[in-house]
Amino acid sequence: MRDDRIEAKREADALDEPAEEARELAERLGLEPYPVRYWVVDHDQMNELIAYGGFQRRYPHWRWGMNYERQRKKDRHGLGKAFEIVNNDDPAHAFLQESNAAADQKAVITHVEAHADFFANNEWFGLYADRGEGGPNAAARLERNADRIAAIAKRADVDRDEVERLIDAVSALEDTIDQHSPVDAARSVEEPGIADDVSGDGDDALDAIEARIDDLDLSEEVRRDVFDDEWLEARGEGVEPEEPRPDVLAFLRDHGRRYDPDSGKAVDREPWETTVVDAIREEAYYFAGQKQTKVMNEGWATYWESLMMGGEGFAGEDEFLTYADHMSRVLGSPGLNPYKLGFELWTHVELRAARREVIDKLLRVDGVTPENFHSRIDLDEVATLLEPHPAVAGAGPATLDELADLAADGDPRVDAEAVDRALSARREDGDGASADGEEIDVERYPWKLLTREGLAERHYVLSRPEHRGALRNVSRETLEEQARYLFDVDRYATVAEAIADVDRAAGWERMFEVRESHNDVTFIDAFLTDEFVREGNYFTYEYSRAAEEHRVASVDADDVRKKLLLRFTNFGKPTIVVLDGNFRNRGELLIGHRYNGVALDEERAKATLKRVFELWGRPVNLATIRVEYDDGAVRRAKRRGEEPEGTEVGVRFQYDGGEVTEHDLDESIRERITADEVDYDTKPDDWLA
Amino acid sequence: MGLTEDRERFREVGETRRADLAEFISHGDLGGSGADRIRIPIKLVDLPAFEYDQRSAGGVGQGGDGQPQPGQPVDPEPGDGDEAGDPGEEGGDHEYYEMDPEEFARELDEALGLDLEPKGKQVIEEVEGDFTDTARAGPRGTLDVDEFFKRGLKRHLATDFDGAYVREGLFVDGADVDDVFAWARDEGVPVSRAWIADAAATLADERGEPVAALDRWESFEALDDGVDHEPVTHRIRREGLDSVPFRSEDERFRHPEVIEKRERNVVVINVRDASGSMRETKRELVERVFTPMDWYLTGKYDAAEFRYVVHDAEAWEVDREEFFGIQSGGGTRISSAYELVEELLEEYPYSEWNRYVFAAGDSENAGSDTTNNVIPLMESIDANLHAYVETQPGDGAANARHADEVESAFGDADDVAVARVSEPDDVTDAIYEILSTESDGGGSAPAGTTAARRTDGGERR
Repeated sequence: MRDDRIEAKREADALDEPAEEARELAERLGLEPYPVRYWVVDHDQMNELIAYGGFQRRYPHWRWGMNYERQRKKDRHGLGKAFEIVNNDDPAHAFLQESNAAADQKAVITHVEAHADFFANNEWFGLYADRGEGGPNAAARLERNADRIAAIAKRADVDRDEVERLIDAVSALEDTIDQHSPVDAARSVEEPGIADDVSGDGDDALDAIEARIDDLDLSEEVRRDVFDDEWLEARGEGVEPEEPRPDVLAFLRDHGRRYDPDSGKAVDREPWETTVVDAIREEAYYFAGQKQTKVMNEGWATYWESLMMGGEGFAGEDEFLTYADHMSRVLGSPGLNPYKLGFELWTHVELRAARREVIDKLLRVDGVTPENFHSRIDLDEVATLLEPHPAVAGAGPATLDELADLAADGDPRVDAEAVDRALSARREDGDGASADGEEIDVERYPWKLLTREGLAERHYVLSRPEHRGALRNVSRETLEEQARYLFDVDRYATVAEAIADVDRAAGWERMFEVRESHNDVTFIDAFLTDEFVREGNYFTYEYSRAAEEHRVASVDADDVRKKLLLRFTNFGKPTIVVLDGNFRNRGELLIGHRYNGVALDEERAKATLKRVFELWGRPVNLATIRVEYDDGAVRRAKRRGEEPEGTEVGVRFQYDGGEVTEHDLDESIRERITADEVDYDTKPDDWLA
Repeated sequence: MGLTEDRERFREVGETRRADLAEFISHGDLGGSGADRIRIPIKLVDLPAFEYDQRSAGGVGQGGDGQPQPGQPVDPEPGDGDEAGDPGEEGGDHEYYEMDPEEFARELDEALGLDLEPKGKQVIEEVEGDFTDTARAGPRGTLDVDEFFKRGLKRHLATDFDGAYVREGLFVDGADVDDVFAWARDEGVPVSRAWIADAAATLADERGEPVAALDRWESFEALDDGVDHEPVTHRIRREGLDSVPFRSEDERFRHPEVIEKRERNVVVINVRDASGSMRETKRELVERVFTPMDWYLTGKYDAAEFRYVVHDAEAWEVDREEFFGIQSGGGTRISSAYELVEELLEEYPYSEWNRYVFAAGDSENAGSDTTNNVIPLMESIDANLHAYVETQPGDGAANARHADEVESAFGDADDVAVARVSEPDDVTDAIYEILSTESDGGGSAPAGTTAARRTDGGERR
């Protein structure tokens, strides 16, 4: 990156301090980010980086050009100026827009630090990152792919159009990978139709996976859908031949050929073609981590950004308004906004865990039971007791003496050494002597006086004004459920005693656990509660064939969750699996759409099938199920103000290089692609009445 | 850098997916384009993927205030899936591709097979070309030394002669100065009579007798036989050049060549009938025909000026913004517009400007105004092209005969075009009809060559 430009350099210099301080604060809060390299770039460079998905070099392809044009237009018309882009790498590289206001730069830095923590600690990112010896090493890998493919495109014996066409075909299938596996685990397969992508040896591996899934705290429904038996089995031993394989791309790489129009036959791929397929597939795995955790990751970054910027005054007073304005715009943008959804869910995770901790302590107060909880316990008293210590809440130059007293008593909330240094600095100032070396700017960075425990108390979720009602809202069922697992009840004589024992960091602890093991699907499934749906006014909508428009379908939390899960499961794409690599005994490929009640976009599916053909070289087939409505039924339904009943019909599309043709679907194949019991339809019965 | 190349590739890929220009002109949204940027919608080239059918999938929304009631109609959220209700259209998203008028003109030429070559009219400047011309005066620094030397050398060659040879002529028996001079001149020696007289006087002094008495040679013929006359060039080669006479008249100063640049100017007068019968759809059709033609001419010429005239029974000039929207209630007298056009065009002498007069209306005109007034005016107003665009013919009353009358009056004249547009699909044909008809403005090209390219695009429906 060009950093010889004076503007950029000056800007970069000015950011050294905020970057260092943000890192220190992030670490004090418990984050463990990858090291981050900050770059300041002008808007054009930023547009380029965005076009390239956050990297400086990618393989040659027109798509980047398209992305660039689009981003440039957005940038120019003020529709979507990008403040930063950070890539998942160790070290992570963060690119900040030169024209950002000072407040924005600081906000962006705090945001980036949180992203870097997420990259480093989320297991789904780990699926890719753990591959390499030195972490993800992403920039280097993408660059290597860029070089390789560029070299191929330049070769005299290779037609560049062919290369691009191949990239087009593979890219169209980039989501048909096995996102739950590391890229290499899904590799070698000996025979078409036989899955053999076992990642460990036998039962141990399977058990380990099952144990891990159990840890995720998922509803049975999602568990079945996401980690169904087939998925599990595919990882265990004793895999049936012809078991559907989710990594369509790997199958095509291993067994696909190339159609040669001259001879009219499938011929073996050139080695360069396999190189290209492999490279693009590998990148798909790299980006899968990002796609699977968009809500969590953005929400996580927004949460910590807001805490550092707002809560810890990382923005100066003069900058705070700009910051607040931008933040509200980010969170306020319409539609289903991953920043907002994520941020709210994270806050919800924190709140629930904190409340659980308080209830846990209160239920151990002598004589308190779930039944008498609300009558016996004065929640106002609890609220007062939970208030942070004034010196902790107001840490800064004014409370220095008080903090010193606490430190003297060995209070774990106070960073005794820092307080000491601040005190001696103050004394020296008073004496007119200048402070030496490591002076602490307590005015600007009061958090330096506190430990993580202190910070947890300072930002305690139940003390925030908007969450004071949280304890009052807790239901008796919740209390009972929690009480069931309690030992050691009646431990505290008084409420005060119980509250004194409350771990203020419980909310954060839970958040850190969750950020390690979840992805968007499991995250939403586990934490999207009734309360959340109600408070956020979330609803589902469906298309009404009778009314010929979209209508609100349900405000039920389960329904909302179901719909959201549809949107995040498998990147929000239908699941496509390889069913047969020797279909009809003619070497044709049969892939199937695992029908979960939601139909395919057939036009796009047909267009995609043509790309599959390019990678298979022989006729390809796609099995799916569509819902057909006959005109009479629709008319009748309209008259009665009902939704028409559709009929599910199995369809097989075939493409052999000419036209896509449509055929009836064999009943036996249909059985193999029908998913059981999952119903994403949220239409109520008396919808249109 | 790689991205530049990727952008070019996208252009190439995007190109083929661009909404067809003709389709854009006849149906597209002309708004958002300006005089210097023309926005043509392009389809985003999205790679297909296996995706859910948007209707089948439904979605999740968030209510602003309070939870909405089930059954309440709702707009699927923006950015969530396709632009609702276009299933089956691959990547229904539109973005805009911006082109400048020159590119637009090129594309239109290509799309319609036009080849209008703009003519230069007004000489706007004389630019300095290379320093290839020379003049007799100029700053010292621009002295062309080569040329100076060459001229000096030429002069030297022209004036130098073999003195000994001429002098020998004086030794011819009986030859006096005049004889020798005549002989020398015959021999092509650039010698003056004075020089010979001088030489004769010197010789007479030396010998003590008149030159006529010297008789070394019997005659000039004998002299020629006896003495080899060596040409000067040979002597210079043999003896070397001792000096070249430099004279001020040999000085040449280099100065830049003057190139006359003709600016290709165009003035376009758009005329529109704004009378009561010109309803919304007709006005729109006019805009669809005129706007792309304006863009096209802007792209073709170095400088383009546009004037807008609307008329009912009276004519007045308006701004572009008003031009397509105005509707008045009055009757129609088309000649009023041409009277104004004539007046406006006085500012743009035909010797210096390419002129286009584009008129549009529904052919209704008062009485015999067309025959008595409009046609004579059209004949008298010099222009590369007069065009009349008839919108929604047959829709109006019996007096809607303007287009027919103009057509029959001018027949196949190459500077008058009549086009008829009754629906958006006719627009590109009309544009072709008009732009492929053009007088060359100077009358030097064989008449009819352009007219022969006419098609019957705007036939009556």
